[in-house]
Amino acid sequence: MKDDIQMNQVDAMPDPSRRRFLNTAALAGLAGAGLSVGLSACNKQQPAAPAAAPGAPAPAAAPAAAPAAATSDMHIHLKPGELDTYYGVWSGGHSGEARVLGMPSGREIKRIPVFNIDCMSGWGITNESKKVIGTRPDGQLKYKTGDTHHIHGSYTDGVYNGKYFWVNDKIHGRIARIRGDVFECDAITELPNVQGFHGIFPDKRDPVDQAVNHTTRVFCGNEFHIPQPNDGHDVDDPKKYYCLFTCIDAETMEVRWQCKIDGNMDLVATSYDGRFAAANQYNTEGGAHYEDMMSAEMDACVFFDVARIEKAVKDGKSFTIGASKVPVVDGTKAANPDPKTALTAYVPVPKNPHGVNASPDGKYFICSGKLSPTTTTIELAKVADFLDGKLDDIRKAVVAEVEVGLGPLHTTFDGRGNAFTTLFLDSQIVKWNIDKAIAFSAGDKNAQYVVDRLDVHYQPGHLSATMGETKAADGQLLAVGCKFSKDRFLPVGPLHPENEQLIDIRGDKMVLLADHPVHPEPHDFVMVKRDLIKTKQVGTLEDHPMALKDPKESGVFREGKKVTVRIASQAPAYSLREFEVKVGDEVTIYLTNLDKVEDLTHGFAIPKYDINFICNPYETKSVTFKADKPGVFWCYCTHFCHALHLEMRSRMIVRA
Amino acid sequence: MKSLSALRGAAMAALFAVTSLLSLPAAAESAYEAPLPAEINSDPDLCKHVPCAEVVPGADSFSPRKGKPAYVEAYRSEGGQKTLVGYAFLSTDIVDIPAYSGKPVITLIGMDTKGIITGTKILRHSEPILLLGIPESVLTKFIKQYLGKYVGDKIEIGKAREGEAMIGLDAITGATVTVIAQNQVIMRSGVAIARQVGILKVEPKPQIKFAAVNDTLSWAQLVDEGSVRRLTVQPEQLGMPRAAEPYVDMQYGYLNTPSVGRSILGDNGYQSLMTQLKPGEHAIFIISNGSDSFKGSGFVRGGIFDRVQVGQDMDAYTFRDLDYLNLWGVKAAGAPAYKESAIFIIRDPGFSAAYPWNLVFLANKRDRETGHRDFVSFSDEYWVPARYIEGGRPKVVKPDAPWLKVWKARAVEIGLFVALLVAVATVYANRDALTRRSTRKNKWPVNAFKYTFWIISIGFVGFGMLAQPSITQVLTWFHSLLFKWQWELFLTDPFIFLFWIFIILTTFVWGRGLFCGWMCPFGSLSELIYKVAGAIGLKRFQFALPMKWHNRLKWIKYAVFFGLLAVSVFSMGLAEMLAEVEPFKTTFLVGMFNRAWPYTLFVAVLLGLSIFIERPFCKYLCPLGASLAMPSTFRWFGLKRKQECNTCKACAVGCGSLAIDEHGRIDHRECMHCLDCMVLYTDEHACPPLAQERKRRTKAGLPLTPIGKDGYYIPIKPVPAAKA
Repeated sequence: MKDDIQMNQVDAMPDPSRRRFLNTAALAGLAGAGLSVGLSACNKQQPAAPAAAPGAPAPAAAPAAAPAAATSDMHIHLKPGELDTYYGVWSGGHSGEARVLGMPSGREIKRIPVFNIDCMSGWGITNESKKVIGTRPDGQLKYKTGDTHHIHGSYTDGVYNGKYFWVNDKIHGRIARIRGDVFECDAITELPNVQGFHGIFPDKRDPVDQAVNHTTRVFCGNEFHIPQPNDGHDVDDPKKYYCLFTCIDAETMEVRWQCKIDGNMDLVATSYDGRFAAANQYNTEGGAHYEDMMSAEMDACVFFDVARIEKAVKDGKSFTIGASKVPVVDGTKAANPDPKTALTAYVPVPKNPHGVNASPDGKYFICSGKLSPTTTTIELAKVADFLDGKLDDIRKAVVAEVEVGLGPLHTTFDGRGNAFTTLFLDSQIVKWNIDKAIAFSAGDKNAQYVVDRLDVHYQPGHLSATMGETKAADGQLLAVGCKFSKDRFLPVGPLHPENEQLIDIRGDKMVLLADHPVHPEPHDFVMVKRDLIKTKQVGTLEDHPMALKDPKESGVFREGKKVTVRIASQAPAYSLREFEVKVGDEVTIYLTNLDKVEDLTHGFAIPKYDINFICNPYETKSVTFKADKPGVFWCYCTHFCHALHLEMRSRMIVRA
Repeated sequence: MKSLSALRGAAMAALFAVTSLLSLPAAAESAYEAPLPAEINSDPDLCKHVPCAEVVPGADSFSPRKGKPAYVEAYRSEGGQKTLVGYAFLSTDIVDIPAYSGKPVITLIGMDTKGIITGTKILRHSEPILLLGIPESVLTKFIKQYLGKYVGDKIEIGKAREGEAMIGLDAITGATVTVIAQNQVIMRSGVAIARQVGILKVEPKPQIKFAAVNDTLSWAQLVDEGSVRRLTVQPEQLGMPRAAEPYVDMQYGYLNTPSVGRSILGDNGYQSLMTQLKPGEHAIFIISNGSDSFKGSGFVRGGIFDRVQVGQDMDAYTFRDLDYLNLWGVKAAGAPAYKESAIFIIRDPGFSAAYPWNLVFLANKRDRETGHRDFVSFSDEYWVPARYIEGGRPKVVKPDAPWLKVWKARAVEIGLFVALLVAVATVYANRDALTRRSTRKNKWPVNAFKYTFWIISIGFVGFGMLAQPSITQVLTWFHSLLFKWQWELFLTDPFIFLFWIFIILTTFVWGRGLFCGWMCPFGSLSELIYKVAGAIGLKRFQFALPMKWHNRLKWIKYAVFFGLLAVSVFSMGLAEMLAEVEPFKTTFLVGMFNRAWPYTLFVAVLLGLSIFIERPFCKYLCPLGASLAMPSTFRWFGLKRKQECNTCKACAVGCGSLAIDEHGRIDHRECMHCLDCMVLYTDEHACPPLAQERKRRTKAGLPLTPIGKDGYYIPIKPVPAAKA
């Protein structure tokens, strides 16, 4: 490997023949009529370009992909009773959920229903969860689908504080907040006039008040441009479509402002000093079809000067779109000719970049090239200089642009000056040194910026190192979300799980540690040191206005056709052994779990009424339904609670 | 299905029949999920719904609920006058301590005006274990242990620990969570009400004020200064086979101390923990190795960690699942590896880290012989090192161990008793001087001492100090020797303890006769009655059994002894019951007229027989005598005999103990050391060989030389003529 590194950076790979072939084939394809070589996850065709290139020498890709790897002594197979070191907080993709994994073991600890409906917990069934998800006037859920991509936690002084995590719903343009003390979703906000809500990132410091050194805003990137408002006008004129960058208040979850931009946005990053948010743009062309979207050689990374935008909003330099009351400022290039007053700065970045990630030292944003085999390192101080009128050309903010491999998508950091970038097409992780890349770009052609490469299986999307997006990046463990698992697990039919791979990044060499199958399809994840998370052991009775403080308060309370049933659960019994309603009643059942014992959750299922939900200790949950079937319905506890769990039931008697 | 349910029905009926036969009537009606009126929790007239009179015997009217927490006053009416006789209170009014089921055992508790618990009654419990496996009567029996106990005492589950003022209660094997919770329920409720009504006066202990010390220490330094301490329990301490690995090996410390907290948790961890604690809350950490867990699984079911708790003075602080935090690691350099860890939070404002406290490990001990499980606790004392406390450690007066308290309280009597024992031994050691002064006709030089000792032992030792040794102590010894020797078990009664030292020493030196014949309160009483009866003219009715019968009947006492020993192996309780064959308890400890008539009758018969037969109980029944008789075989100094004793029957005829056989041998197992034969031994008129010699010498005109140690006149040996 030493010899390889002595070679040209781009060729410093375990299998140069394969590397070269892919390189030429891919570039040829991209340069041509827009032939996709399987870089899209939606293209389920075998992306192995070799098969499509009969003339090429047969590369023994798979065998070569298993190098005599360095070994790792990292303790990942935990003994019974041993606890993980990190909380892995995972998005769940189009399962609509989020998950908590223990790291480094990779054990799934919790699934957090967010945009989906979950009959285990009753998410989407209870009134409380419906209220969070949002309902139509008839009480039905507004949306039943969701697609979570990116998940990030709240910060204090540049490090996670464990208070909140935010995750997006790409389909319907919603942002959800997950409380770090209970790992449950407590708020969902639908972004106005946004389709394809992609990237998301909390700020780390207040740009206006530097004393506020914690997260107060969350920024949302918008991928799909649409007519504004999207009410049927201009549908045939894509040139009039545009995208909105959105700022959400971290506490109230209300939309603070939006910013109209040129082009679209995918991933989002924020600076440690709070001044900037940025989003990569792959469709600065504003195309409606993909070949149009990659016609330009350069796209951009758009920077938002948050303080200036908020001043503009304050000064009333904003407009609204359609029914939305949210102030929108104009961040297009045309509206911001003078950098000294500009709300935005568009840093040119080659060809359809994807991820943008902030380095732990706070100095750089690194854009991954996707269709360009490069990463682009943008120095924030220079962006600031440009906006302050001290730099004539915004492109000069790019301090390094080096080739790393094919299909770079996302980057993470070890806190020791190294970046790790996924190479989707190469199915590799490349470890490269930021300072040396800058030196290389500055002309020092002897600078060996690539430190190591590691094959992963296969086609990685996001990757994240432990604490990698914080000042406290500790360079221990790297997780990579491989979009294809192919032959890595027992086959279970056409649908394959994704493959989350774990990598030891403590040494110079990366060492592959483990494969974990995951239910499709997590995109992004963060790994948070366990001592930063403080969870509640049981709920707080007072949190719910209808909580029963005492089983004596149980009963059936009727107001005309509206019937309220209040029940307490204490293992192994419900406080009402039976309760009566009449056909035609609108019944609301409140269940309070009065067992103040950790892990003593009760369930409540009503046969034939399609109801099940759980109620954690000292929590209250409710359901509302129409009693439309007469008879006896045995409500029972679905969540194992006690030696007499089976006996824990109550009769709902619906009188005809 | 039908047959199955019929079978179950039959089984239930049988079970019911058996339980109602065996158990107390109260236990027959189950308190499991017993329906209680809802008003029980709120109605001011608590006693309308619950049987208050049952827990405060003698009370006939009760006040409405008063106070906070609530209690009712219990009154007795006499001649229109109402006198306050105690208090009754409902446990759930005062404490919220869920038991195994997660629900409280609703208990009605009565207490008199001095803080003595007068009654306990379980109104309702939800303990499945008591429904499924263990009969409920066991719980009823358990809480009956509190009757007569003072709420201010430290009462804990398990055996009393050495050096601590604590009363131990027998636990219920298999329901430890229930009894730990129940112990807290009863004691805390009792203390809370006792404090409220002014029976207990408690000043809250001042909280610790940390000195401005803030250094980072290594593990070894923490251990050296006592900031980290260790509590290890070996498997053999729990009746399990010895093993290389301890059962649990816990190292623990108090995390609020800044230096300790920072050293263990690191700066951030310490800050984070302290922000989680409210003022007055305390955190300790435990790391542990060993073959078993200090967490157990009790907390899974009932939310209580049933293997560890913190004790301070009379308070025990148990941990619920909500008081548990993960210990992520130990930062201190050189910290050992561990299998299990915890941070526990003490939330009770009564706890003060300025004062010593104990980490207590609770476990089941299995009796290897019987398989019986016993609840035991092990503890280690922790006290924050003085350098961390502003002004150093406060002065703490530790209460003496109960046994020590007794010794101190009765120092005068103990001194007298020791003097008595020494006097008896001294007198007996000099018995030759007394016997030589005595003759068959005048035994007063011996008897004056012996009768004095009898009277002292009956009055002072027996009725006064209740220090009548008993066979049960021998049985306890056997068990202690076999299983575990606990000094405190014996030290709690100083008189018995000293008496036994005397008994053991004298038995091996002289034989059991000195105790039995001179010092045993009951034996003395028995023989005194015989002597008095003889003296007042009943002599002609007095008799001894023929030797033939005596020699047969004397074995009964050995049979009694071995019978009791055998029974005690299986059931100490039953053996103790059968030990009523000794009339001692009735005679001295309880009093003849305080017991049921069969016991009194038994004593009356034995003492009545003593009028006519010398020591009938001692000779034929006494298992204690039997147990002492056997080692008497190996006494060092026996009584003296002469060659002529083989044929001479003079002593044997006068032996009240019937201890001299036809060959003149003294059976030291039966001998009561009355010394009659020793008086004869030197009585030149009564001892036939001596009398013969006396007559011979008188006739021959030889001088009567003094009687030598061998019981003969010192022979006259002509001195050879001096050489000229």
